[in-house]
Amino acid sequence: MKNFIKILVLFCVFTHASFAQEVKLGKVSKEELKEKIYAKDSTADAAILYRNIKVSFVYVESKGFIIEREVHERIKIYNKSGFKHGTIVESLYQSNGTRESLTGLKAYTFNLVGDEIEKIKLKKSDIFKEETSKYYKKEKFTMPNLKEGSVIEYNYTVSSPFYSSFNEIILQYDIPIVQQEIKVEIPEYFSFKNMTKGYLAYDINRSSKAGSITFTNKNRSSSGYVTKTDFSSSKIDYKINVSKVQMKDVPALKEEVYVNSMNNYRAAVKYELQYVKFPNSSIENYSTTWESVVKKIYENDEFGKQLDIKKYYKENLSKVLAGKTSETEKLEAVFTHVQARMNWNNIYGYSTDEGVKKAYDLKTGNVADINLMLVSMLRAAGLNAKPVLVSTRSNGVPLFPTRYGFNYVVAVVNTNGKNIFLDATSKYNKPNMLPIRALNWAGRIVNEGGLSSSVSLLPDHKSTESVMMMASISNEGNLEGKIRRNCRDYVAYKFRINNSELAEDSYLEKLEEAYNGIEISEYSIDNKKIPNKPVVENFSFNLEDAAEILGDKMYVSPLLWFTQKENPFKTEKRDYPIDYGYPWEDKHMITIKIPEGYQVEFIPQSINVSVGDGLGNFKYSLSKTPIGLQISSSLSLNKAIISPQDYQGLKDFYTAVIEKQTEKVVLSKI
Amino acid sequence: MRIFFYLALFFCSVYSFSQDFQYSSLLIKEELKDNADAVVRFDEMVVDILAQDNMLLKSKRVVTVLNKNGNKHVNAYAGYSNSSKVKYIKAIVYDAFGNEIKKIKEKDFKDVSAVSGGTLYSDYRVKYLDYTPTGYPYTIVLEKEIQTKNTAFLPTWNFLDGYGVSAELSHFKLNFVHADLKPRVLEKNTENYNIEINETPLSIDCKGVEISALKKEQLSPMFNQISPKIMTRLIDFHYEGHDAHVENWEQLGEWMYVNLLQGRSELPESVKSHITNLVKNVDSDIEKARLVYEYMQSVTRYISVQVGIGGIQPIIASEVDRVKYGDCKGLSNYTHALLEVAGVKSYYVHVEAGNNKIDFEEDFPTLAQGNHAILAIPNGESYTWIDCTSQTHPFGFVGDFTDDRKAFVIRPNGGEVIKTPVYLNENNSQKMEGEIQLLEDGAIKVSAVIETKGIRYDNRFYIEDLDKDKILEYYQDTWASINNLILEKNEFKNDKEKVKFTEEVQISAKNYAKPSGERILFSPNVLNKNSFVPKRYRTRKLPFQIQRGYKDVDSYVISIPEGYGVEALPEPVEIISEFGEYKMSVLKQGESLKYERRFLLKAGKHPKEKYSNYRSFRKKISKNDGAQVVLIKK
Repeated sequence: MKNFIKILVLFCVFTHASFAQEVKLGKVSKEELKEKIYAKDSTADAAILYRNIKVSFVYVESKGFIIEREVHERIKIYNKSGFKHGTIVESLYQSNGTRESLTGLKAYTFNLVGDEIEKIKLKKSDIFKEETSKYYKKEKFTMPNLKEGSVIEYNYTVSSPFYSSFNEIILQYDIPIVQQEIKVEIPEYFSFKNMTKGYLAYDINRSSKAGSITFTNKNRSSSGYVTKTDFSSSKIDYKINVSKVQMKDVPALKEEVYVNSMNNYRAAVKYELQYVKFPNSSIENYSTTWESVVKKIYENDEFGKQLDIKKYYKENLSKVLAGKTSETEKLEAVFTHVQARMNWNNIYGYSTDEGVKKAYDLKTGNVADINLMLVSMLRAAGLNAKPVLVSTRSNGVPLFPTRYGFNYVVAVVNTNGKNIFLDATSKYNKPNMLPIRALNWAGRIVNEGGLSSSVSLLPDHKSTESVMMMASISNEGNLEGKIRRNCRDYVAYKFRINNSELAEDSYLEKLEEAYNGIEISEYSIDNKKIPNKPVVENFSFNLEDAAEILGDKMYVSPLLWFTQKENPFKTEKRDYPIDYGYPWEDKHMITIKIPEGYQVEFIPQSINVSVGDGLGNFKYSLSKTPIGLQISSSLSLNKAIISPQDYQGLKDFYTAVIEKQTEKVVLSKI
Repeated sequence: MRIFFYLALFFCSVYSFSQDFQYSSLLIKEELKDNADAVVRFDEMVVDILAQDNMLLKSKRVVTVLNKNGNKHVNAYAGYSNSSKVKYIKAIVYDAFGNEIKKIKEKDFKDVSAVSGGTLYSDYRVKYLDYTPTGYPYTIVLEKEIQTKNTAFLPTWNFLDGYGVSAELSHFKLNFVHADLKPRVLEKNTENYNIEINETPLSIDCKGVEISALKKEQLSPMFNQISPKIMTRLIDFHYEGHDAHVENWEQLGEWMYVNLLQGRSELPESVKSHITNLVKNVDSDIEKARLVYEYMQSVTRYISVQVGIGGIQPIIASEVDRVKYGDCKGLSNYTHALLEVAGVKSYYVHVEAGNNKIDFEEDFPTLAQGNHAILAIPNGESYTWIDCTSQTHPFGFVGDFTDDRKAFVIRPNGGEVIKTPVYLNENNSQKMEGEIQLLEDGAIKVSAVIETKGIRYDNRFYIEDLDKDKILEYYQDTWASINNLILEKNEFKNDKEKVKFTEEVQISAKNYAKPSGERILFSPNVLNKNSFVPKRYRTRKLPFQIQRGYKDVDSYVISIPEGYGVEALPEPVEIISEFGEYKMSVLKQGESLKYERRFLLKAGKHPKEKYSNYRSFRKKISKNDGAQVVLIKK
């Protein structure tokens, strides 16, 4: 985890970027309008010419402090594909009558007509307010008169009473940013920790200034028959901490293949509220260290307390544990019980939603309902079980102590000095196999009393698919034989997710298509729905024209349709780690009987190639046998995540694999 | 299927849902479980037409979901808008044995804006149920009632909701308060099912019993083109404040024009004079229309906003002119207005857009058909069609989005159903000429000219607007069998007048050919390998279709590395079948090889019995396209 942070976060490079001119709303230049492409990246459909975000905490007498986020952006649209950047959507949160609001919107489209700048204002009627759901409202607008070459500009303020949810300012978009300035002003009463995310270097400039609040007090006093109301005001001075980020030429974030979530690499400043301390009141802690974050989560009624509720499963648990003596047996029995009984409602979270008891009765719940119940039951069974806080792939990697960094919880059992991870929200995984959504670098084990420690979640053993084939080629070049396929661990998990609900006919039709149009018969499958066992399939098959006959020779692809078809890595360079989710291995053992009257004239040479320091390996061997050929192939990637430094090596490795796999065997007539 | 007329005096024989219906999933007949992820046990909708502008839709639906894939057939939602409201919606869930597990009240339904992808804003909303099943099978009973003033869209009753779901009992009933409000019905694909329609003087009753599930199969027509359903319409209906009397398409067109289109083509003077100027020296109407269309394409973009009666009525032209965006209706009406200024007549058209061709029903005029608006410009005896939502399509070319289907042309003096342009077989051509150099290490260098027309054009011309990274990606995907592809050069020519797209491309790739000892093996069909073979089905149940067909002509000259001779060449092949024609040959031409290939795929609809013939036709083509040449060291 520590190493990862080093990779991910580049600390401030001190460049004193200073912006010459003040950018004013509505003052767009002809040069900006005339620009045809963005010089630093000709593939950009649009670019943010200027972006200014100002976040400040403002005191409102009836409400206390609210957060105001003032947005000013100027965007150049280069071509039609860039039109989508002419539509702006702000999601506004609302809860119990308190809501975020958007005010002061001014927006313009600028076009060059002849040599004149045409300025078109967005009308009020062009702003749409959508009640998206109970909790969210959206305000949307799309700019009028958009053309290739237009510049659009807008300015508005979003006010939010939810100051503890202020946690991130994004610094990088899918289009380039020419220059931006982010300014955050926070009163001394609020202590936020901040941290940078992504691969871009920038500098946070800190300063402070004075601020004050004026309170109006109303006093009613009676003397004799006269009642008098006095207004008096009092003023409190305080310090405002100002942080400023200025950046130039921020490149667009570009999508790459085999990435868990591009958002993990998007540049941003993260904010985390640590405590609030108003004058004359006690300190209110939010988070400071991992210990206090976890402690806070632990002390929450929807977390720690849920672990202690036990009565609801007592009776069932004793049935489940009947006859189970070893730790492993108990662990498996409890896991299987919760996995089979509970149905995940697709809602993430480390806090329970229904509460474990109600969820158990209803047989459905969110992640915390299910996995905290699992921890509790494992403990009741006498096992050393703990919850593990996790940030899912879609949520990104938690960089520093933060409640918002977590959105998921799983269980861990330490047995015989080994950690076994458990997640009962999926029907297709087994102990020590978390669903792929939860495989995101590291989690935090929550110990009794709220102490915590980091633990790697990356799977370290290989998930394998192995195929054994015995087949024979006829004089016509047709192939027939038997296949036994064995899928383990994550390969089996994926197989079950994709196929276990399909009717057999539909599945076989799919498999036949994937296997180059073979025709399958005598199919059988074992352990289709038993998650802790490998999926084993056996079948007979035939394939027409498997070998190519040219003159008196026959050409055969020794690995048939089991070859890597194309190189997944096509781009020249790679910025972000390559994420396979888990280490894996594909094994093939193929025995081919050749037709009578033919002999093996040529077989490709066997090879054994590796990439990196044990990162990946391809072992391929072919040999003649009295009746034909014997082929054995194993392709493996030994790490779940591969750093971008190894990209070129990996790309070349794939090239070598494909090249070798497609070499043909030549048979000739005797 | 015949319609039975009940002359009995009693006018109401409401089918009532028996209270002791068994929710247990154990009682479902095996035939209904075949290919089914869910079984609709009971599906009933009673439509009470109380007045021309008042309709009540009551429904009760009982679905047993057999597995995870069946959850989508629960359909627990109700849409509403300003002119319709959900009177109630509720649900009860039962386990496999018919025991009640959960009661769901209206407030437990999520209430959200019904904005689909691509729409900026819509007035429409939906209440839906987000239920997590706790085991399979389970049964859910959903009851709802919706009231609406709009009687223009009488429901279409689908006896099946989609692939993978069967129906035990499906019941649709229309009650009307007097004979003038009697709906017309149209049966589609009901022939082979146990479906019965009975009428009384004040009701129409449709009942379907034990309808088995259909399994989705490759190349089959779209589900709703083959599934049994009943379409309905009122002669006298109401739509957003307007009454209508419609007996035929002509009247519907007139009503549409008068109530929803007329008076919406006003434009500011500045645009008018711009247009007048633009066409002032042009005589032909079609040429004028081309200029106007291209102008419109250059200044507008597509944004969907559905407000007020946005469902059918276009936003006024001057508003579109102000913001320079609109949806299909707004942009069609705007272009219509611009054409009017140019003195060119054009008609607003409703059409069902999409890759699948869906016709308007010639004898069944309703507003419910169609999902898109385009324009038809009279051109002599026929029409020129334009889609105003595209900023890139050539004038008069609608592509595979609205081709070859019956559409509703709305004219001031009445509407008519007319077929849109057809692009079939040879019209959709691709000509590829290449010079290919094969090197001793197996690398290739290719320079090729590709010319596409018709739907082939439609599938390719967009690449001219892509950036260089995306263009490289495009060729790497198109020629996925050429690993390590490097794009050396590309040049595009888009001839919009002839609707012809030309690509001049140079590529190179390492390790294309595979040396095996002394020999080099390689596939001479470098650029156009067609390996598509339709999926094998153990028992094909549905007919299949080739929607448009196409023609490929390929010709490559391949130079082989020095010091190598040809050991084996594939035999020339010619295949002729009812599905098309294929011809391929590789011949020695001096020190080079000449590869020629022609492939015509014919559009057509075929019964399921011919599916295996079609498979073997495509297998042969796939095999021959993969044929190899063997070179040997001299």
